[in-house]
Amino acid sequence: MKSGGINMMSRRRFLILAGAATAGAILTPQISAKTQFVESPEEVESNRRWAMAVDVDKCTECMEELIAKTGDEKVKPPCVVACDKENNVPEFEEKRFDPQWMRIAKLKLEKPVNAKEFYIPLMCNHCENPPCVQVCLTKASFKRPDGIVEIDMHRCIGCRYCMIACPYGARSFNFRDPREGLKEVNPNVQMRTEGVVEKCTFCVHRIDDAIAKGEEPIPACVEACHKYGKGALVFGNLKDPNSEISKILRENIVVQLRANLGTDPHVFYTKLGGE
Amino acid sequence: MAVEFKKIEGDSIQYIALVIILAVATGAGFYAYILDHEIGGLNGLSNRVPWGIVNAGIPYFIGLSAGSLIVSALAGVFNIKKYKVFSRIAAYMAAAWIIAAILSIALDIGKLYHFMNAVRYFNLTSIFSWNAFLYSSYFVICSIYLLVQFEEMERATRFMAGLAVFWAVLVHSGTGAIYSFMYSKELYHSALTPPMFIVCAITSGLGLLLANLYFTFKFTNRELDPSLIRGLGLIFAGLMMVLGYFLAVEGLEKGYIPGLHEAVQFVFLNPGTGVFWSFWLLVVFGIAIPIVIILYPKTGYDLRWISVAGILHAALVFAERFYLIVPGQVFPEEYLHGYELKSLHTLEGYVVSYTPTIFEWLQVIGLVAMVYLVYVVGVKLFALIPERAVEEVVEE
Repeated sequence: MKSGGINMMSRRRFLILAGAATAGAILTPQISAKTQFVESPEEVESNRRWAMAVDVDKCTECMEELIAKTGDEKVKPPCVVACDKENNVPEFEEKRFDPQWMRIAKLKLEKPVNAKEFYIPLMCNHCENPPCVQVCLTKASFKRPDGIVEIDMHRCIGCRYCMIACPYGARSFNFRDPREGLKEVNPNVQMRTEGVVEKCTFCVHRIDDAIAKGEEPIPACVEACHKYGKGALVFGNLKDPNSEISKILRENIVVQLRANLGTDPHVFYTKLGGE
Repeated sequence: MAVEFKKIEGDSIQYIALVIILAVATGAGFYAYILDHEIGGLNGLSNRVPWGIVNAGIPYFIGLSAGSLIVSALAGVFNIKKYKVFSRIAAYMAAAWIIAAILSIALDIGKLYHFMNAVRYFNLTSIFSWNAFLYSSYFVICSIYLLVQFEEMERATRFMAGLAVFWAVLVHSGTGAIYSFMYSKELYHSALTPPMFIVCAITSGLGLLLANLYFTFKFTNRELDPSLIRGLGLIFAGLMMVLGYFLAVEGLEKGYIPGLHEAVQFVFLNPGTGVFWSFWLLVVFGIAIPIVIILYPKTGYDLRWISVAGILHAALVFAERFYLIVPGQVFPEEYLHGYELKSLHTLEGYVVSYTPTIFEWLQVIGLVAMVYLVYVVGVKLFALIPERAVEEVVEE
């Protein structure tokens, strides 16, 4: 009788514990990288759409000067250096798994003899229809109402499907812990670990900070480009008709990379070939 | 009862040795995984080729599972009584292969302890997300199907067989779509992939099953009627031809597009890469030679030769997975059409190479060994194989 009572108790306790464990597993509030907006998502969507414009002519000029000065074909220009430093992008010897949020590429038309070489920066295009968000198993990759495509590092399982889906090679996988490849750490930017995917965020921390203070946001690369480079990069809000980027898009023929895919990338290249 | 299923004794030295060998190979696979993740970067992957052979294991194992299940359900769905003798063993293998496939995902992802996120959060637009649901439900269906067979529930078996075939087709088409719907990679993008996956699943599942039957019956001294195998062999050969046809159509279509000439040349005509070999070894040793073996009368009735054909084909279907997954990654995409683009700081714009390392091979081999370990132990624990498999058995 007594032992039966104990059994009953322990069974009940077991059921309660099992139930609590199940509820805990299902209902735990998730740590989320999603920013809490003061405005509603609809308000944000109608007020802001971040984008970048690249003046290829100026970018090429800057790179040519830099290469001539250093004699290094693979020199990292101020924008890339600033990006690496701002966002804790590590530097690894082995190129195959060295993450790179922003990088410079050399462009050349194959047709003419001695074709001129142009330089353009490559980064996440923060597409309107991002394939990475479309394929992400867990919705770890998501698009904010202001157009920025971000990754929730707590949710990412590291399957790398987004890397396969991204048409712009914008994503890097952390084969190693990024801290192994960092000399100094910027505490304002979330530190990633081994086994997740990372990419350019348009310096989302700076944007949120600036918006909260009522200032104009400026990503690290754009800041460095204007300070030390030729001012080829322009960042701004497409929903603001008076912003510089809106003006550039109004007055120039702009090129989006792989526009035929319908992803509607939001990094626009202008002055290709100099005007 | 027409067919008598019986457990094996499993107390011979050879049996114990086989169990130990398989267990060691399985253990080595998991150890390779631990090393790869503890030290980091021991694989041949890169930011340009983030999916390698451990990832290729996912569609490969699912294919073997789906194929095995479809063969098993042949007896139930179409009421072909003579194939009922194989239905248990095939359904059991199907369940074992799907475990390997799910483990392959687990070994491949970067953050294992985030794995449950794939179940907890569902992204309607992600094909992989759908598949996470399909794979787990598929395993449940396999298990129930096996259970109703053990309980000899005739009607339930037929119903489950039908459901299992439908689910296997769904699961494996979904797996094909994971890759082939990727519009960012022109070498991936093909609507032919999902149907090709179904054909490939049946051929590889069947091929391995034929070899499996031969060796199991041989080592347990049971009777296996070659004329029973002949029917399966002909289905095997016929579907391999269909697979070859699909591959040819797909390759020719890609080759017809001027924008892809360079890529197509790289894939099919450049013997310096694993991509080239994966395709041509598949065509010659994985399709042509097995078809000849089955159709040539001297070898087509010989169980040993049929086993060789089965193993050759099933092994080279892994090369087919390599050919599916790797070329689209190693060959650079054009970011701005007409322009040659080369990154200064990454490997973008370059043809990159991917050579799987021993650590990756050990993981794939480990999973295969695990499946056979589950099988070898299974035939001792459950009544999976019939005492004799001959045509007359079921005629009564």
